[in-house]
Amino acid sequence: MHRHRHSCVAGGLAALLILLCPMHLSSQTGLSSQTAPDFRQARDEAVRTLQALIRIDTSNPPGNETRLAEHLKAILDREGIASEIVALQPARGNLIARIQGNGRKKPILLTGHMDTVGVERDKWTVDPFEGGIQNGYVYGRGARDDKDDLAAMLEIFLLIHRQNPGRQKLALDRDIIFLAVAGEEGTPQVGMDYVVEHHWPKVESEFALNEGGSIPVRDGKVRYVAVGTAQKALARARLVARGVSGHGSVPRMDNAIGRLAAAVGRLMEYQPTMRLNETTRTFFERLATISPPEEAFLFTHLNDPGVGKLIEETLRRSGNRAYVTYNSMLRTSITPTLIQGGFRNNVIPAEAEATLDIRALPDENLDAFFAELRRVVDDPAVEVIALPRYRPIPPIAPLGSEMFRALEKAQAVVFPGAITLPEMSTGSNDAAQLLAKGVQAYGVGAPGTDEDAEGAHGNDERVSVEGLGQYVEFLYRAVVEVAGAR
Amino acid sequence: MGKVSGKRFWIGGTVILAFLLPALLPAQAAPDFPAARDEAVRNLQAMIRIDTSNPPGNETKLAEHLKALLDREGIASEIVAAEPGRGNLIARIKGNGRKKPILLLGHEDTVGVQKEQWTVDAFTGLIRDGYVYGRGALDDKGGVTAMLQVFLMIHRAKIPLDRDIIFLAEAGEEAGGGVGIDFLVEKHWPKIESEFALNEGAEIFEKNGKVQYVGVSTSEKLVRTMKLVARGGSGHGSMPRMDNAIVHLAAAVAKLGDYQPRLRLNETTRAFFERLAKVSPPDEAFLYTHLEDPVVGEMVQETLRRTNVYYNSMLRTSISPNILEGGVRFNVIPSEASATLDVRALPDEDIEAFMAELRGVIDDPAVELSLAQSFWPATPPSPLDSEMFRALENAQKAVFPGVVTLPVMLTGATDSASLRAKGVPSYGIGPVVTEEDGSRMHGNDERLSIEGLGKFVEFLYHAVVEVAAAR
Repeated sequence: MHRHRHSCVAGGLAALLILLCPMHLSSQTGLSSQTAPDFRQARDEAVRTLQALIRIDTSNPPGNETRLAEHLKAILDREGIASEIVALQPARGNLIARIQGNGRKKPILLTGHMDTVGVERDKWTVDPFEGGIQNGYVYGRGARDDKDDLAAMLEIFLLIHRQNPGRQKLALDRDIIFLAVAGEEGTPQVGMDYVVEHHWPKVESEFALNEGGSIPVRDGKVRYVAVGTAQKALARARLVARGVSGHGSVPRMDNAIGRLAAAVGRLMEYQPTMRLNETTRTFFERLATISPPEEAFLFTHLNDPGVGKLIEETLRRSGNRAYVTYNSMLRTSITPTLIQGGFRNNVIPAEAEATLDIRALPDENLDAFFAELRRVVDDPAVEVIALPRYRPIPPIAPLGSEMFRALEKAQAVVFPGAITLPEMSTGSNDAAQLLAKGVQAYGVGAPGTDEDAEGAHGNDERVSVEGLGQYVEFLYRAVVEVAGAR
Repeated sequence: MGKVSGKRFWIGGTVILAFLLPALLPAQAAPDFPAARDEAVRNLQAMIRIDTSNPPGNETKLAEHLKALLDREGIASEIVAAEPGRGNLIARIKGNGRKKPILLLGHEDTVGVQKEQWTVDAFTGLIRDGYVYGRGALDDKGGVTAMLQVFLMIHRAKIPLDRDIIFLAEAGEEAGGGVGIDFLVEKHWPKIESEFALNEGAEIFEKNGKVQYVGVSTSEKLVRTMKLVARGGSGHGSMPRMDNAIVHLAAAVAKLGDYQPRLRLNETTRAFFERLAKVSPPDEAFLYTHLEDPVVGEMVQETLRRTNVYYNSMLRTSISPNILEGGVRFNVIPSEASATLDVRALPDEDIEAFMAELRGVIDDPAVELSLAQSFWPATPPSPLDSEMFRALENAQKAVFPGVVTLPVMLTGATDSASLRAKGVPSYGIGPVVTEEDGSRMHGNDERLSIEGLGKFVEFLYHAVVEVAAAR
């Protein structure tokens, strides 16, 4: 079966694939067995949508997502799909739309965020808000985070609707909800928090697909499709060192800056204990099966009493982007990202502070963890303050669910020969609020090289046109599998 | 032979003068020192109320205040400014011109305040428990007040003078920009040219309620501000990186914070500690006489490092990390982070070699050390055998009998460096302060003891009259 599918895809034509391999999609669904979507056209439409979304600057702050929500609403209106914009603040609109199913099962939610981080314009070689296409890539702020997801989710939403415009009302067992949220980049209170708290019935669902996964392309090949099933919790802390102020010409041993630097140094030598969970254990096990032997050895011996420590250190010290991520998946991580103190060359300030970006394992006991940090800092002059968390600590989405299995099946069709890796995101996104409400939220993402991935929050952000097309097909197959009527 | 007899004569002269002085002063018009003290306190309060935090400075407001005060006394004065708002005030009492003038100077500007760290208002000139509180109380509005007071007292008493006495309140001492002493030296030199200058600098040090010594600075350490820049890979905060610029910077700062550059005494500091030992209790005297002892020297230095930050800084080129900056957002690892080190070099330090030494301590190719600011060239110390230094010693004997005058190498930098560079021997003096008072300079709850200000006025008056009064 696998081999058969493989050869189908190798044939390359989506239409041909559907003709030759009708078993890819549930044979019972009226939906998928009728007209197969033209994925090439879908890709081109998604690209045009993405370009249009990029042209609407939603850098957050300030966001101004309402303009984008209105743009989406106009598209949906043209398609005859009712939608609604709900907003906590007038400029921070969230868009919700729904395709009705027969109600046999609970809905599936397709969601993405409309806002982006800002740009350092002088570091871009292209206009970040033009949505230009160069060498097979769409460039622009949000091309990967997260307007590509929005464009892809919207595309499959439209594809399903067009195949199901009232004529085949029974074709869906589940409603499909499309949600474009505001404020993901630092202000979820106007976005997902607000929607979850005030409009829950409109988005309540059994499953959700959201940003958070990835389809890495290396040497032109996709080896695995990563699906986010867990995420670490953001738990920031502030270190505040206090000392006696004075003149810089007479150094003091209680210099707040010296104390702070020493505390940061001690925290960096400290490595929180490695701890695997269902997601990360499965991740490394499966990753080993597609890795060269020397790498596979690392992934299968993390807990080895003999070489385990050596492997942990190897991952920690590596500059390899993948290893940097793996290292963060192993433990609650501590990264100093802001440091500040002093206001004049010749004045010893009374205070200096550093901000630690802490990403906690989903089962971390944060009170105990902060107590441990205080023990490591071991200096009464340096206070360790836990900063308020702005997202709940999310539970882990199960690997045995209908949705996860559908994603695995879609992967087998669109990326045959690869595997599906459940992944714990080291970052955090709006899936946390959904997971905390009991929705089984899975993170997905478009194909991209390591270099493409650097563009998210970076410069010259881009997504490959071909990758976006594959992503649309992948999502379409998974959603139809889960939502299509049986 | 002549040398020896000259020296004998000099000693004799000193003794005679010391006897004569108390008799000489009342003969002219016995100053009422308590009244002078109270007037000085009121002047200091008024100056504190004029906020001259630099930046921006706005010293002209204070210069105009001083000008109005001098106008009332009938003393002509002039405000000269390199930039609007940055006025310097110059006034002169004429002598008979037999000798060259003496310059009394202080600076109008102050460093800024971290308001939330103060327990009193920094700009009301509050009096509490015998202290005047406020930014500048010690640095340097206390100094300006005392200089002004002596200037007014000599003017009012109409003391015949062999020298002109010049009063200068200057702008821009706390931060460069060339609006203060450099501007004056370059553009208005004839108005302030003098044989001697008295400026801020050392202090009259009090401990356990007793004056221990009168410090007179004759030399100072050199400002050699350095910058540390750590560079690394940028990235998302959720994924720690070993090349995090903040981590590398913190490690470098922590190493330099621990590092003690080598002790090295010079003529001034050697004399300082030798004389200090003579007026100190045995346990402290032991420290001052065993700094370089091969057996206990290291222990002695560590003790001073913890217990006396001033003496520790006099012993070596010092490093104080004073500014840290890095990061843009809590979830972004920045590609760069930097620290500013306030380095105060011994006057004879080879700064290139010293930086090479620090690079060895940091031992991290990701961290770059560079020289950011290098104020003033090294200048020779002002002599200990001048008429001015002797007059200060005599004033000490009259006002603080039983203690010593200590020549001091200042750990900080003052505008005396510019005057010394012009060949004017400049002596740094200051009011009576405790170690606690001193620690508040540039810090929080800066204050000056009323009694200490009064004694300083008296001391200064004796010294200036001795040097400037007609013989």
